[in-house]
Amino acid sequence: MAEVVRVYGHSTYKDVYVVELEDGSTRLATRNLVVGKRVYDEWLFKFNDVEYREWNAYRSKLAAALLKGIKELAITSGSKVLYLGAGSGTTASHVSDIVGLEGRVYAVEFAPRVMRELLSVAESRKNLIPILADARFPQRYRYLVGYSDVIYADVAQPDQASLVLLNAKHFLKEGGYLYLAIKARSIDVTKEPDEVYRREIDTLKKGYFDILDVIHLDPFDKDHAMVYARYVK
Amino acid sequence: MMKVFLTDVIVGAFAIDLNGNVIHKVVAPNDINKLVERVLKIEDDQPTDEFLRLLDELVSNYGKDLEVVVDNENYVKYLSDVGLKAVLEHGSEVLLRFREELPKHFVELGFIKSEGEYYEFLHTISLTITRSKLRRVAQKRDLLAVQAIRAIDDIDKVFNLFASRLREWYSIHFPELDDLVKEHIDYARIVAELGSRDYINEKGLKRLGFSEGKINKIINISGKSMGAELSGHDVEPIQTLANIMLELDRLRDELTSYLSSVMKEVAPNTTELVGPLLGARLLSLAGSLETLAKLPASTIQVLGAEKALFRALRTGGKPPKHGVIFQYPEIHKAPRWQRGKIARSLSTKLAIAIKADYFTGRFIADRLRTDLEERINEIKTLYAKPPVKVEKVKGRKPRRK
Repeated sequence: MAEVVRVYGHSTYKDVYVVELEDGSTRLATRNLVVGKRVYDEWLFKFNDVEYREWNAYRSKLAAALLKGIKELAITSGSKVLYLGAGSGTTASHVSDIVGLEGRVYAVEFAPRVMRELLSVAESRKNLIPILADARFPQRYRYLVGYSDVIYADVAQPDQASLVLLNAKHFLKEGGYLYLAIKARSIDVTKEPDEVYRREIDTLKKGYFDILDVIHLDPFDKDHAMVYARYVK
Repeated sequence: MMKVFLTDVIVGAFAIDLNGNVIHKVVAPNDINKLVERVLKIEDDQPTDEFLRLLDELVSNYGKDLEVVVDNENYVKYLSDVGLKAVLEHGSEVLLRFREELPKHFVELGFIKSEGEYYEFLHTISLTITRSKLRRVAQKRDLLAVQAIRAIDDIDKVFNLFASRLREWYSIHFPELDDLVKEHIDYARIVAELGSRDYINEKGLKRLGFSEGKINKIINISGKSMGAELSGHDVEPIQTLANIMLELDRLRDELTSYLSSVMKEVAPNTTELVGPLLGARLLSLAGSLETLAKLPASTIQVLGAEKALFRALRTGGKPPKHGVIFQYPEIHKAPRWQRGKIARSLSTKLAIAIKADYFTGRFIADRLRTDLEERINEIKTLYAKPPVKVEKVKGRKPRRK
């Protein structure tokens, strides 16, 4: 591993760091909430006695959206985040890093196979609450989830926009934010990606979301887009 | 008429008035296992004991002249059971506000010492719930069948890989055997049991169960083989490889019989219709019995042919006639033009069988099987001859919007 030259806070995104390496390259990183522990095969950097975790944009769509310059990162320290489709916890662990112990990540995942991995991530991260449930039925986990500042959704379901609306109705506070990762190929293979994005965005607009930004995630993820929106019910 | 909001949360069932005050509550015992059981019930849309008790006590305290608001449609039924009028309202302000104040209530009820402990409590509960749900999934036998069939497929792959290596390797010594013995397992048996060409004799081959004619052929050719002479030292590793193949074959048999016992348990109708192997492959493609049971026949028909199906959808070409159900003997033995019809008929019967397996558990496969056989015979007589080919119009536009 190349030596760390310096680490500094990102100019646009609060609580996200940039690690500069000896060879001149830079990496996105978050401050590791659980020192010494890796979640996937990311690098750990130490600088001034603080440990940072590399945030790999090829593994995490949120990191890709940041590198592609999405307008804002509404997730900051202390945020309460409802994370739909947490998978094995790659991105969720970075979100957990960012919100810190004052914040909360409600991580909803439906597949038992990846939930096993997410569970082991959640065990050491006190702010990460794993929920094994179908995001299409928010009433089934309403007893666990409180009001949220942000919904982050990466569910790859054909009905993802309406699923997000339903969850927003239950849990998102007024003026809260949404990040929605759209995978065009999971929605309709017969349609062009741009058409799929437009349709999903239209559904969001009808459900009281103001679209603030749409970012294409290539080259990190092909045929993916990240929508950033604000809830104005 | 008084308006009351009902909600069931981790620690108990609560009745709240319009101003957000708790007018009645039934609290669960402070025992994490009991709380987890409660939560699992809530998630399954079943009323908890506390909720039902709350309903009874509400009626006896306030009478039936209440307008009760709930946020779960499944509770409406239980309300009308006790004669209460129910209103369904998602995300009502009163309930949302109440949920925001939960930390305070938790402290008051003695579940936690301070509001700061609330999230720790939630974290512990959610970990325990998730673990217990995962265990419930692990107990599902259909997932064992899925793993077993995948293991069998892995073994087949490895076995074939080893077979081609063995043939190539042993051919240095006895190249002619490659053409004489077509079956991999027979080939491996000869190498493993007899080894060097010099030990291939009538007695040994007979013991391995070869026919008279084959034995004569092998012995005849082995006498004038063009292969190189190998010492015992050089033959030994080849034999080791052959032995591992025999071992793999035994393992495959064991897994197959294990799989068939599991499949009979989880999906008796499906197994009766298409056998344990094909049944398990369908399970494996769908992921679980539940997901498979919820698939329509048309999807079951092309399970395993996703690549061809989506290619067809994209380009507007011909969709595949069958996926993995091609392995059903009546399909792959049938002439080409009958296969699609048989596949369609089989997949409809399969869809019924799987739904019976998952939902009722009743055994209806014998009836399905006679129906299916009848239809297959019908197809065979009605479409005995290949259809006359119609000249295709050239330059047909793909079906694309």
